[in-house]
Amino acid sequence: MNTKMRGGERVGGRSFQSPCLLVFVFLSLLSGCATVAPERRAILADPTMQFNGEAKHDAPLRHAIDNREGSMGGTGVSGGGCGCN
Amino acid sequence: MQLRWGAVAVAVSIVALAGRARAQVAEFDTAHAVFYEAPTRTHMFVYSPSADVQASPWTWLDVRGGWEADVVSGASVKTKAGAAYAATHSPDVVTTASVHDFRNLGRGEFTAKGDTTSLTAGYAYGTENDYRSHSLHVSGRTDVFQHNSQFELSYARNFDSICDRVQSASAAGPTRWAALENSTECFASAAGRTTHAIAIDTYEASWTQSWTPIFATQLTYSAQLVDGFQSDPYRSVILGEGVQAQEHEPSERAREALTARVAWYLRALKGALRMAIRGYHDTWAIDSGSLEVEGEKSLGEALRMALRGRLYRQKGALFWSDDYTGGAPPLGPKGQYWTGDRELSPLFSWLVGLRVVWTVAPAQGRLFGFMQSLKLAASGHVSSYSYDEYTLGGVPVSNAFAYVGTLSLNAAF
Repeated sequence: MNTKMRGGERVGGRSFQSPCLLVFVFLSLLSGCATVAPERRAILADPTMQFNGEAKHDAPLRHAIDNREGSMGGTGVSGGGCGCN
Repeated sequence: MQLRWGAVAVAVSIVALAGRARAQVAEFDTAHAVFYEAPTRTHMFVYSPSADVQASPWTWLDVRGGWEADVVSGASVKTKAGAAYAATHSPDVVTTASVHDFRNLGRGEFTAKGDTTSLTAGYAYGTENDYRSHSLHVSGRTDVFQHNSQFELSYARNFDSICDRVQSASAAGPTRWAALENSTECFASAAGRTTHAIAIDTYEASWTQSWTPIFATQLTYSAQLVDGFQSDPYRSVILGEGVQAQEHEPSERAREALTARVAWYLRALKGALRMAIRGYHDTWAIDSGSLEVEGEKSLGEALRMALRGRLYRQKGALFWSDDYTGGAPPLGPKGQYWTGDRELSPLFSWLVGLRVVWTVAPAQGRLFGFMQSLKLAASGHVSSYSYDEYTLGGVPVSNAFAYVGTLSLNAAF
């Protein structure tokens, strides 16, 4: 994000913020259209429908994969230590 | 030892807090994993135990503490050379060094919860023979539209340090630097040892959306800034005739990834199909993509079985070369940096696995008189790595297999 001050005005900030704002508004409106009533959420609460339902069990596998590839991301931010042998 | 007493103190505090609460739920988790890989010469074996406790002393607060470790033994490549150099020198130009390490990590975390929002903050401290890590993380989550949309923002900051040798004053520059021989006297203020700082900032934003009673999606953006020493201090790379230097990678790296997930319940199968696709890019010019598919089915009330498959492909880093001494492209020198890290080379991998989860949660009464529920899980995965360019002294490494087996237990009280 370029928010460098020049002559008291922010330069470049607006061009970054506008698309982000549009995307946020779009997603908010889009998600607001699709609501599932609480009484119809039983299946969504099923363990098989959870994206990280067995996160603690799968953590060692994720750790091994991360250390064998040159990429990262998508599985949370907490960390500590290298474990990179 | 200090870390162990710290973990005990955290556990005692959590149990004490839980004891004061009237309607608390406490949980205990433990997992034990083994990793083994058998590409040429390394035979790396890692045993990773972990234990976590969680208590909810008040309805608005969860407190967690835990410990995990990696017990590592095997070998790693100590000196890297490639085909061009091997063609004119002894075929045994790659040497390996045995690796024995013991990583310990203690962590504590709390979550303050409201009806639709939660805030989490935590700290982790990790030690290895040659590495220290202090990590702080915070996250905030909110549910909107009758819990159909969840937004989460997370941030973590690592203050890490890595051991290295003090380079000779006569070493003119990185091409003359020598690799660290071993971790003896690391973090002990020894004359021949020094440390380098590594700062890691990790950001993540995710949006989870329920679209229908059987269909949900998740979009996650992750970014990471790494600033500091990122090479393997033990590894040397042969750069030319008589020139063997410690691995030398850029000190800054910016990484980002976008992951899209879907979960779709198939009523006929009484199970769900989950898919994830991830794109990744960083400033070292590594681009990668992965596709992961999981199918999980309930077998009766207590048992679930999941099958998982994953495909992964990456390009190599801009400065990656299998041989910096010369040869036809893609071999040859690549500017001011050099590495022998196979994880920075172009590669393809696949993974398949199976996970079984057995849960017992009596509708009335308690299990064995004191447990609300008990969950046992077991999984086994095998993965294969095929390296486009990476060789061990000119000998290709293809279909290197790795195996991961995990057992875990969760008990709620």
